[in-house]
Amino acid sequence: MKLSSFRYLVGQGFDNVWKNRVMAFASFCVLLVSLLLVGISVLFYINIDSIIGGIEDKNEVVVYLLEDTTDAQIEEIGQTLSGMPNVRAVTLYTREEAFEDLKASMSDYSEVFESLGDDNPLLDAYRIRVSDISQMQQTVQAVQKMDGIEHVSSPDSFVELLTETRHVVAIVAIAIIAALLIVSMVIISNTTRASVFARRREISIMQSVGATKAFIRFPFFVEGMINGFMAGVFATLLTWFSYDSVVDLIANFDILQTIGMGSIIPYDAITIPVTLAYVVVGSLIGALGSVWSTRKHLKYRAANM
Amino acid sequence: MVELKNVSVTYESTGVEALSDISLKVDDGEFAFVIGRSGAGKSTLIKLLLKEIDANSGEVLVNGYNLTKLKKRKVPEFRRTIGVVFQDYRLIDTMTVYENIAFVLRVIDAPMKLIRKRVPYVISLVGLQDKADSYPSELSGGEQQRCALARALVNDPALLIADEPTGNVDPELAYELVELLKGINECGTTILMVTHAHEMVRHFGGRIINISQGEVVFDEVIGGAEIEAE
Repeated sequence: MKLSSFRYLVGQGFDNVWKNRVMAFASFCVLLVSLLLVGISVLFYINIDSIIGGIEDKNEVVVYLLEDTTDAQIEEIGQTLSGMPNVRAVTLYTREEAFEDLKASMSDYSEVFESLGDDNPLLDAYRIRVSDISQMQQTVQAVQKMDGIEHVSSPDSFVELLTETRHVVAIVAIAIIAALLIVSMVIISNTTRASVFARRREISIMQSVGATKAFIRFPFFVEGMINGFMAGVFATLLTWFSYDSVVDLIANFDILQTIGMGSIIPYDAITIPVTLAYVVVGSLIGALGSVWSTRKHLKYRAANM
Repeated sequence: MVELKNVSVTYESTGVEALSDISLKVDDGEFAFVIGRSGAGKSTLIKLLLKEIDANSGEVLVNGYNLTKLKKRKVPEFRRTIGVVFQDYRLIDTMTVYENIAFVLRVIDAPMKLIRKRVPYVISLVGLQDKADSYPSELSGGEQQRCALARALVNDPALLIADEPTGNVDPELAYELVELLKGINECGTTILMVTHAHEMVRHFGGRIINISQGEVVFDEVIGGAEIEAE
């Protein structure tokens, strides 16, 4: 194909968007709604996942050491814990720190603490954060087998609840996204087919003067890509504004922050992947949907009707 | 140029035999009128010559292509060797007169220089200079017919098929159109013109192919007065 022909066909694609603006607008709207439905569902899921992750982060395993453990042994246990699989962070929490914290949190009972004098009944401990909360039980069991450990405290039932919630959220989200994708594909396919059907006469004329399938399809490809690109850009803008509004709303409620809603991913962190996903997926669906819909009308009809 | 050997066409959906064992030959540079009543098989003949349908039996040869054996991917290439004026014009509504005509040259990847030279020439040949930027919906029936004729001619085809080109125009313009086709024929283009206008055929004379009930019942070169109106 010559460059002049390529330019002509691309130009035809742009012209067709305007000349067939009613159907082009219908395709644009359907693509926009489909992109938003799927895009918002994905964003909702990754944020729920992030919130659960944030709650998980706040949970830790506390390893209490035997009362007579020497500093050298404490150090050695700390190194062993750090080297264990699934252990992300290890922090020493000395009995002195624990005692001070206890006194501070129970200031109304200061006379009780005064009566104890220098006698600290608490134990040295390590606070452990795990990488995978679903594997916490195995990690706890491994720690319990170590020497010098008094006992291990872990939020087992809460972890179980979180793990199950995450699992259910993932299944529900995938099911919803898959259903939305299927519904979107059916609607997009029907709209582009209706758009191409309205121009079947034009396609038939082109064939009768000797145009090849590729020559006929190319402007449809460009036209579909323009529609999809525009839908992608609008979906990005709408998502951006609505997402920021939701984030601002949550920021105004302390209670939502406290229960972990503060783990919502800021839009700045996902601007590029969201924009790229919308624009690339929109353009591809638009272009391929258009070309796919021309197939039926481009079929060589030599069979006698 | 055009040769049909024992060709039969039956429409599967209705079981109607539209053409029955037809044989005919139109040589290079000939001008032939194809006449016949509605349903006689004229449109089927045109569809066959454009490879829009296939023959159930026999052999169809057009412009050196054996349509019976022609592969699907070669159909566009074959169609570029023919100019067609359709009864319903078949102009693209979203293109201007100029764009409709230039489209045929775009399809064959013609250089821009040729398009800029050839398209205005054929537009002037059919007298549509003032309508080059008009859309088909802004043209009268006669103007659309002339636009369709210009599109059929722009590629300088070896064979021009005109399906009822005078069907929607007034008698005066109809005679002008046939005069124009005669002039084009004198330049070497083979022309096959399907028509109902027996008066006009009588006036111009020449080779007449009369199709009736799917068969060629009359095929001779004669003068105008010898043709009986059906």
